[in-house]
Amino acid sequence: MTKPSTFQDIILTLQQFWATQGCALLQPLDMEVGAGTFHPATFLRAIGPESWSAAYVQPSRRPTDGRYGENPNRVQHYYQFQVVLKPSPLDIQEKYLDSLRALGVDPLVDDIRFVEDNWESPTLGAWGLGWEVWQNGMEVSQFTYFQQVGGMPCKPVTGELTYGLERLAMFILGFDSMFDMPWCKSAQGVVTYGDVFHQNEVEMSAYNFEHANVEALFKQFDYCEAEAQKLVDLQLPLPAYEMVIKASHAFNLLDARHAISVTERQRYILRVRQLSRAVALAYYQAREALGFPLKHISHSVGRNIE
Amino acid sequence: MSNDLLFELGSEELPSGAVWPLVDELANRLTASLAKATLQHGKVYRYASPRRLAVLIHDVQATQASQQLSRRGPACAGTIDSQGQPSKALAGFAKSCGVTVAELTTIKTEKGEWWAYEAMMPGVNTTDLLPSMINEAIAGLSIAKPMRWGRGEVEFARPVHWAVLLFGEQVVTTEVLGVTTGRQSVGHRFHHPQAVDIVSPRAYEALLKDAFVVADFKMRRQMIIDQVQQLAKQHGFDAVMPEALIDEVTSIVEWPQALLADFEPAFLDVPAEALIAAMQIHQKCFALRDHEGKLVPHFITVANIQSSNPQQVISGNEKVMRARLSDAAFFYRQDKKQPLIDYAPATANVVFQARLGSLQDKTLRMQALMNYLVHPLALESAQALRVTELSKCDLMTGMVGEFPELQGLMGCYYARHDGEDEAVAQALNEQYLPRFAADALPQSNLGIALSLVDRLDTLVGNFAIGQKPTGMKDPFKLRRHALAVVRLLIGVPAAMNLSTLIDETLHVYGSSLKQTGNEVSQLQPFILERMQSFYQGQGVAAELVQAVRARQDDWLFDIDKRINALLEFIKLPEAVSLSAACKRVNNILQQAGMPTENQTVEQDLLEEPAEKILFNQLQAVEEQVASRYSAGDYGMILSQLASLRDPVDAFFDHVMVMADNQAIKNNRLRLLARLQRLLQGVADISLLQLSS
Repeated sequence: MTKPSTFQDIILTLQQFWATQGCALLQPLDMEVGAGTFHPATFLRAIGPESWSAAYVQPSRRPTDGRYGENPNRVQHYYQFQVVLKPSPLDIQEKYLDSLRALGVDPLVDDIRFVEDNWESPTLGAWGLGWEVWQNGMEVSQFTYFQQVGGMPCKPVTGELTYGLERLAMFILGFDSMFDMPWCKSAQGVVTYGDVFHQNEVEMSAYNFEHANVEALFKQFDYCEAEAQKLVDLQLPLPAYEMVIKASHAFNLLDARHAISVTERQRYILRVRQLSRAVALAYYQAREALGFPLKHISHSVGRNIE
Repeated sequence: MSNDLLFELGSEELPSGAVWPLVDELANRLTASLAKATLQHGKVYRYASPRRLAVLIHDVQATQASQQLSRRGPACAGTIDSQGQPSKALAGFAKSCGVTVAELTTIKTEKGEWWAYEAMMPGVNTTDLLPSMINEAIAGLSIAKPMRWGRGEVEFARPVHWAVLLFGEQVVTTEVLGVTTGRQSVGHRFHHPQAVDIVSPRAYEALLKDAFVVADFKMRRQMIIDQVQQLAKQHGFDAVMPEALIDEVTSIVEWPQALLADFEPAFLDVPAEALIAAMQIHQKCFALRDHEGKLVPHFITVANIQSSNPQQVISGNEKVMRARLSDAAFFYRQDKKQPLIDYAPATANVVFQARLGSLQDKTLRMQALMNYLVHPLALESAQALRVTELSKCDLMTGMVGEFPELQGLMGCYYARHDGEDEAVAQALNEQYLPRFAADALPQSNLGIALSLVDRLDTLVGNFAIGQKPTGMKDPFKLRRHALAVVRLLIGVPAAMNLSTLIDETLHVYGSSLKQTGNEVSQLQPFILERMQSFYQGQGVAAELVQAVRARQDDWLFDIDKRINALLEFIKLPEAVSLSAACKRVNNILQQAGMPTENQTVEQDLLEEPAEKILFNQLQAVEEQVASRYSAGDYGMILSQLASLRDPVDAFFDHVMVMADNQAIKNNRLRLLARLQRLLQGVADISLLQLSS
């Protein structure tokens, strides 16, 4: 494959690379989440003894990171390319570096570094150890060995790779502002990332910081919390999990509106975490009831299946 | 016979803060277990990089020395019966030694004859001991956050990939953290991904250097310092190089290459400290200053490769730096959109500490306490109020949210921007000084006062709710605050007693404080303990501080003056015998058991010339120093004492205190009591341990 020249080339290259490595290529979760980790293909699949390898793009929203489209690389909506490998193979770092090579990165030209960065999601009751990967000082990926999810130890351990697609693309394509990068090139000309998303950044920043209805969001949070609890009791972990995701996004918006004090903040995080734990346990039990169907799927990552 | 020992553990990139501590601990544990196994060895070398921890030990004894084993069994008497059969006890002893009774010997002592087992135990080969030594050393390492990987149950700081274990040129094969030891190491991740065969322990460093790895941590650290300084110098700059940053950079590279990069000069409008924080904390880069100390729009990054296109690495780093600095600039702009004081209401939502209320509660308490300090510290009342109101506002700003270590400083910048009094702005910057033991103190009285009330509030509050530090546990950094209080109060001449300040702080807390016990009473001793160690850190002998504390234990400025005067006094040739005389006087008075309140000496009863001379001199000195106490002129007082040495020595040489005549005896005791009061007026010099 030739060196990517557009944002979408990069996605295509990564998909191709990880498909070759035996990952199931999934599609984004159709809900507002703060990171690819929230996708059930990561959070829930990390639970229990089953093997699992998947890759997907996940649009991610972090309301507090909005800068009204004025910062060339901070936005409230961006894309992550997420890869999960369970159990984590011993050569996972090499595989990751191969994916960078597939994107045209030469680690003898660019300074690639694995810099300690431990991940913890208080709301998901999850934590892991790993790195942020630097390319010439820019964090282009997160690399995490999950140790615990939903309060349960991860056995086996899931290795999670998260590429920050915009940052990575800015580097590979050589742009100083993400808004200037080409999304695609067509006979009619170049469509830039800004053409696709700049207006969205301006309007969504205004919404997140200034107009999101605080009162309604608090109600929404309460509703989702109650609903999630009800669904856990009904042993329906997947819809319950969707409610957790919604509650979590409502919380993020409230945070952007500075509607939650530091004390309350802890309390809200605790509430979401309790739900996550309940969902994780219910999911484990549901998979167990099914006999952990993917437990004996041989781990195909690393074998060229073409 | 001895051989060199090399152990290397190869892993994925270790947390930067763990690299040196882990190798240091590993080396210490290994040498300790060699010592325990009575194996002699030579020099110990520690190698550490992000991907490896290695210990090289020269000339390790190859075999333990043989040991004479001697075990005593039961007493001989009655252990062999008439049939020649051994008793149960004797048979059991032989069995426990793994021999027959015939192989035992006997030993005779004064108390009788005993069965014994004596044998020569051959020493074990070091290579047989190494596997368990290595594994025990690793198992005992303190790893802050251990992890598992894959399907394994093994835990370490990061996944382990290889281990080298050589004794001389021989591989010692064992299992370490799930891998089998061998002689294959690995070079630099990108420059030399192939295996490196380590032919012998001493070849390790050179072989790795050929594979683009500077394994020696300290050497690599020095390389980084040299490269950065040289590069800065080439361009006429000085690099800002805090130790912690150098350590961190050393821990994330194996093949350091310093590169100079630029940022847009427009960012220099943002406070320099914020820019430096952004460079250091987020990018682990070195900021640069010109010869006048002004920040310049360049920085140095240390890459881990010798790039075939360094310009690409540089421009990449510049891009990131631009984004980082844009963020700092964004916060700076955004924060200034409202005056600093407008952030005050938000402090009501921030918890200061669980049982001590919000940040706003704290601010209000600080205000009340500040009020108390207005007079003694000669503060302007309005400024004192204002600076306290503003003190915690910057904690609510975006910039301090992003860079917490800029607290205080950002308050200063924003206050200045708002047109607050310069004194107020400056005090805001000074409020967290001193941040650590050797840090600078606030220069202004307003800054001193603010720093003081903040810490007193924290100390009193925490002691009241039972959070007094115990052992290593000091989550609220109370020892540091106490030391800061000591250093601050030493510099405040106003007559302010520590106990009064504590009472006043407690009073300000009022009924809002639910005290758990009586721990507040331990606060003053706690602070004075810090004072004691502060002076010891300055090289002042403990008993010297104790001598002063016997006279003054509450007003720190006065304590400091007395200590300084006493330090001068002990340099005098008279000090030794005066201190000794003081001890003697104490003993005599104590033994006489006479009340010392009455110090009226009746001149008529003085018989001996020596006591008359002493009394005259005593009166003369008393007269000279009487007026000096109120001025705290302790140096002068102590230097006057010197003139008493000869009369005191002569007195003890020629005068018998315990005279038969009761009246004369009592008169002499009263003379000594008066001498004692004079000698110990500044400090109890009898406590000094001086040698001539």
